[in-house]
Amino acid sequence: MKKEDTVKLISAEGFEFVIDKNAAMVSQTIRNMLTSPGGFAETEHREVTFPEISTTILEKICQYFYWSLQYASGKETEFYIEPEMTLELMMAANYLHT
Amino acid sequence: MSSQKKKNFQIEAFKHRVVVDPKYADRTWKILEHAIHEIYNHNASGLSFEELYRNAYNMVLHKFGEKLYSGLVSTMTLHLKQIAASVEASQGSLFLEELNRNWAEHTKALQMIRDILMYMDRTFIPSTRKTPVHELGLNLWRDNIIRASNIQTRLKETLLETVQKERNGEVINRSLMRNIVKMLMDLGPSVYQQDFEKPFLDVSGNFYRSESQQFIECCDCGNYLKKAEKRLNEEIERVSNYLDAQSEVKITNVVEKEMIESQMTRLVHMENSGLVNMIVDDKYDDLGRIYNLFRRVPNGLMLIRDVMNSHIRERGKQLVTDPERVKDPVEFVQCLLDEKAKHDKIVNLAFNSDKTFQNALNSSFEYFINLNVRSPEFISLFVDDKLRRGLKGASEEDVEIILDKVMVLFRYLQEKDVFEKYYKQHLAKRLLSGRSVSEDAERSLILKLKTECGYQFTSKLEGMFTDMKTSHDTMQGFYEAMGRALANGPILSVQVLTTGSWPTQSIPACNLPHEILTVCERFKTYYLGTHNGRRLTWQTNMGSADIKATFSGGKKHELNVSTYQMCVLMLFNNVDQLSYKEIEQAVEIPTVELKRCLQSLACAKGKNVLRKEPMSKDVSENDSFFFNESFSSKLYKVKIGTVAAQKESEPEKQETRQRVEEDRKPQIEAAIVRIMKARRVLDHNNIVAEVTKQLQSRFLANPIVIKKRIESLIEREFLERDREDRKLYRYLA
Repeated sequence: MKKEDTVKLISAEGFEFVIDKNAAMVSQTIRNMLTSPGGFAETEHREVTFPEISTTILEKICQYFYWSLQYASGKETEFYIEPEMTLELMMAANYLHT
Repeated sequence: MSSQKKKNFQIEAFKHRVVVDPKYADRTWKILEHAIHEIYNHNASGLSFEELYRNAYNMVLHKFGEKLYSGLVSTMTLHLKQIAASVEASQGSLFLEELNRNWAEHTKALQMIRDILMYMDRTFIPSTRKTPVHELGLNLWRDNIIRASNIQTRLKETLLETVQKERNGEVINRSLMRNIVKMLMDLGPSVYQQDFEKPFLDVSGNFYRSESQQFIECCDCGNYLKKAEKRLNEEIERVSNYLDAQSEVKITNVVEKEMIESQMTRLVHMENSGLVNMIVDDKYDDLGRIYNLFRRVPNGLMLIRDVMNSHIRERGKQLVTDPERVKDPVEFVQCLLDEKAKHDKIVNLAFNSDKTFQNALNSSFEYFINLNVRSPEFISLFVDDKLRRGLKGASEEDVEIILDKVMVLFRYLQEKDVFEKYYKQHLAKRLLSGRSVSEDAERSLILKLKTECGYQFTSKLEGMFTDMKTSHDTMQGFYEAMGRALANGPILSVQVLTTGSWPTQSIPACNLPHEILTVCERFKTYYLGTHNGRRLTWQTNMGSADIKATFSGGKKHELNVSTYQMCVLMLFNNVDQLSYKEIEQAVEIPTVELKRCLQSLACAKGKNVLRKEPMSKDVSENDSFFFNESFSSKLYKVKIGTVAAQKESEPEKQETRQRVEEDRKPQIEAAIVRIMKARRVLDHNNIVAEVTKQLQSRFLANPIVIKKRIESLIEREFLERDREDRKLYRYLA
């Protein structure tokens, strides 16, 4: 995987997730961060820190990104969400505009 | 969001935070405000998108949306005021460039601001019905920059000035113009229209109004149109270069109105160079231009068409009534054909083969060709001339082309039956004298007439051809049957003509010379022997003869003469001198014909086989005639034509006219009966209209004649008048 095609997402605890840029852009917020003109820090370094998202949630989110890509390409599978995670995940989704 | 206890599913935590930090909102806004300043100052690279987004997100979430929004408005306004000041300060030509540069920066900054405030755009703005960030940015730009008092007029004037410069031939920065115009369009169609398009159209209107005035004073029509066309193309090009595509129609309308429509009449009628001159001089380019330009304005083409129409009518009228031209029918028709070809070419080359123009052309020709009542006769004479000699050596295609052209003229004729009458006469002469050049051409023309006017029109003409064929066979049969019995006598060739098919007149036969009479009698016996129950009448006025004559010094000549002339000449076999009276008694030829025939024998130079005393041009009843011993000619065969005017003389014309009228009567009656049979009851005006329509393909029926025919039919009890309404007629079965 080329470095230009990836992006690094960092959780509140400092865990780093390196994922496909395409996958990350499922989130409208992240898409804007990476494509907005004028060169914000995120665009330059291709790395985004989320001080308000915990590692577990961010991991789940990354899984969701990939699942979403697959779903969009026609592979219709279930995405399992643990009930205790639901609320936090929803808030993160709102934040990320996913 | 902050982490929560895992099993607490309430959303209390938010309120909690708001209460905790009363200064939270101010602090957060400071961060965002700072970021907006940095963005405008091109310092965004140090900022964290995530942090800004999160702050804006939290502000909205914590009900500080209003503060965020109003903060944004005031901060952006602040920056735009600074920009406005710098744009205002820019010097002269740099104005547009400065404006353009700032616009580019503003749109970029706006994009970034919108991105970080996206959450507000998504949630707060729709629920409070405020203007979205992007639109807000454009509106603020419009109000603070474009509509700023010091900028608005200056911008408008600079733009218009630049356009004017380009019109005057200067080179301008088109891409800059395109950007500025694009900016106006981005700000909304109303801004483009109000701040630029409307004044642009007004100024253009003034410009072209005065320019057209100036041009029309100093240019001729052709040059004016060239200039107008150039201007029009320039404007179209300008629109495609840097204006909104929707402006094209508007600006071309302005040019069309000012440069064409308002000067239209003056252009068309311009002396020495107007439309008529163009047509006369075959200026296809100019005519094409005038067509394409005038097509753009209402009534433009109509004006051209009307002027062309009246010109052709005028010219055609002169042509057909010119007494000089009427003298030579062939020339006359050739002129018509040339005229038609010329205008056809104009319509095809310059007027895009426009159907309405073709129709106008046709109606004009129909109008003036029928102005001269002799047109049908002349057209027939023209065909006669072509078929007699004109087509010799011409290929089959050429023949077809000429015949097709003639058919075009024929179609214009209203009195087609008159043409038929003449055509029949001329065809009869051609066939009987064996002068037709090509039977194929003859048949081809008849076929054309048949397709044009139907079977009825040509059935008699075709009958004439059949007669010729059967006569040929009959003659062969006759000579085979007679064998040697006729070996020493004159050779007789008889054409048996069916009564009715040919234009025969019942003229009493003249006294044929004895030698001829014998052969004729034999033929009569033979013919009546093979065909029962027929009657043969000799049409001595239509025949011709080849006779041999010996003159002084034993010079021999073969003379080709008419039957009448032969009869006269045969008299001189026995005597050398005869008085007019004696000749008349001997041959019993009708006076007019006899005089004509003597005139051609005695008065025509080089063909005077007779001598007349006293010598004069005309034959009178007291003249004497002598055999002209001293006749000489370079040729062995001498053709002595009859002095018959090629076209008809005045009384003949009257006579033909009368016959035509006579022939029309039964046709009109037939039409009336046909119509009444179908309709049963009809009023007078409708009958006249329908009869006219039915007979249109043959002739133009005169309403008075129709009325007379109706009366005649009532007399003969085909129709009756309605008892109550005298205008109604009923059909009586």
